[in-house]
Amino acid sequence: MRYIKLHRIFIAQYLKKLMEYKADFTLGAIGLLIAQAFQILFLGIIFSQIPSLRGWQFEQILFIYGFSLISKSLDHLFTDNLWMVGYRIVRKGEFDKYLTRPINTLYHVIAENFCVDAFGEVLSCVLLLGYSIPRLSMPFYWYTIPLWIVSAVFATLIYTSLKIMTAAISFWTKSSGHITHMLYMVNDFSKYPVSIYNRFVQTVITYILPFAFTAYYPASYFLTGENPLFCVGGTVVAGSVLFALAIFVWNKGIGAYESAGS
Amino acid sequence: MSRLRRFLRIYTPFTRAGIQEAVTYRANFICHLIGEIMSAFIMYFVWKAVFLSSDSESFMGFTMEDMVVYLFITFLTGYLTYSDGAFAVGEEIVDGSIAARMIRPCSFEMCFLFQELGNRIISVSMIFVPMVAGVEIYRFVLCGEIRFNIIYFLLFLLSLVIAYMISFYFNVCYGFMAFFFKNLWGTTLIKETLVGFLSGAIIPLAFLPAGVAAVLNLLPFASLSYTPVMIYMGMYSPAQIALSLGLQIFWLAAMIGISKLVWRSAVKRLAVQGG
Repeated sequence: MRYIKLHRIFIAQYLKKLMEYKADFTLGAIGLLIAQAFQILFLGIIFSQIPSLRGWQFEQILFIYGFSLISKSLDHLFTDNLWMVGYRIVRKGEFDKYLTRPINTLYHVIAENFCVDAFGEVLSCVLLLGYSIPRLSMPFYWYTIPLWIVSAVFATLIYTSLKIMTAAISFWTKSSGHITHMLYMVNDFSKYPVSIYNRFVQTVITYILPFAFTAYYPASYFLTGENPLFCVGGTVVAGSVLFALAIFVWNKGIGAYESAGS
Repeated sequence: MSRLRRFLRIYTPFTRAGIQEAVTYRANFICHLIGEIMSAFIMYFVWKAVFLSSDSESFMGFTMEDMVVYLFITFLTGYLTYSDGAFAVGEEIVDGSIAARMIRPCSFEMCFLFQELGNRIISVSMIFVPMVAGVEIYRFVLCGEIRFNIIYFLLFLLSLVIAYMISFYFNVCYGFMAFFFKNLWGTTLIKETLVGFLSGAIIPLAFLPAGVAAVLNLLPFASLSYTPVMIYMGMYSPAQIALSLGLQIFWLAAMIGISKLVWRSAVKRLAVQGG
């Protein structure tokens, strides 16, 4: 409860800062929107020549793509500051600040920044889902919406946990932004049906860096209604396991942290 | 001749610094490379699925073999011509340290250029040979004959070097503009997406409507990536190669001219502000 109240104050502070730099915020959001638009244009050109991609229709691919942006944009919106831990905060010795405050360090790092750039992804996500859903005949039950919410939350946890873990590496090595970057880039694989990849890639994105559970698996369940246990259940399991692991690594890291000092 | 020697004596230390920088941060360097190369592999799988889903052997004039060569040589070209050395100019203008550059007896863009060349030496030595060899082995396995053409390859190298120089001077201009915006992350994302599209790195220009492709071919962006890649693939006739190399040189001269103008007007601005 106390943390929810705090979070409101953090975001309010951040929005005040933002009012000073309105143009900047728009630029980041426009950048992300344009980047998505060209990807869609690319898909459009491909589908102008073929009826379906390994059995997937254009609208279905757009749905999977849009679905992948739900968790990606939520993570981007709320936990962007984790990037800074690996790139700058630890290396410059700024992390000391968080250790002296009477709130949880991880919470404090995350709450400090609210990344409005991500609205570019949110908007692309809404447009893609808004375009594709009415054109698809997807099964709908009373529990479909609760399952959407569950998948979105746990899929976001997959992203966030991976960022927490790799950011925590910097407690030992002083700088780990490049490791976060390398693993984060794997998420791009999740935008397309897993069936187009070879076995190796499939195994990696299902069991090792389970980005396939942020998009393709849950999205394919909502499209076809098949395999709910694996598709949605797997997202919950992957998200929970990774998050527990991330908290563990973070706390270990805090224990090993030595200030860079000045 | 002695002027050349003097020139090299001034600027080679910058190259050495660039090499040292790249070696010191090699872990970052390798992680970054792996992260970036993944996007090329995603595209590879997407195109494989496209060809498996298509009835015909070719897609808008490209076979699967062409597509793979296109993807990986485009990645290589994009990686090697990437330039952000001059980006620091924007920051130096903001914090005023540019003043120190103006009193040094060397030109500011040459310092950046030679420092970045040092960086490039490391990246070239790390990925150039494996990448080209990988592509050629793939081709050989796929069609059972050696398709490597030394003349096209040498012309590709020439075109690649010009492409890098255009990219460098283009980013010098961008570095100055970026100083007007605070969200460098956002403007850079916009720039890179637009350049990626206009240069044919996202979609081969040949897949676009003929009119659009013809215009984009003349713009400087095609010179950054599409031209060297097409030359490598042997897609251009000798006349087309001569024409596109000429166009590259034209755009290089234009970019150098523009960057000089921007530099001069920036210096004037600085004087008004009092440095």
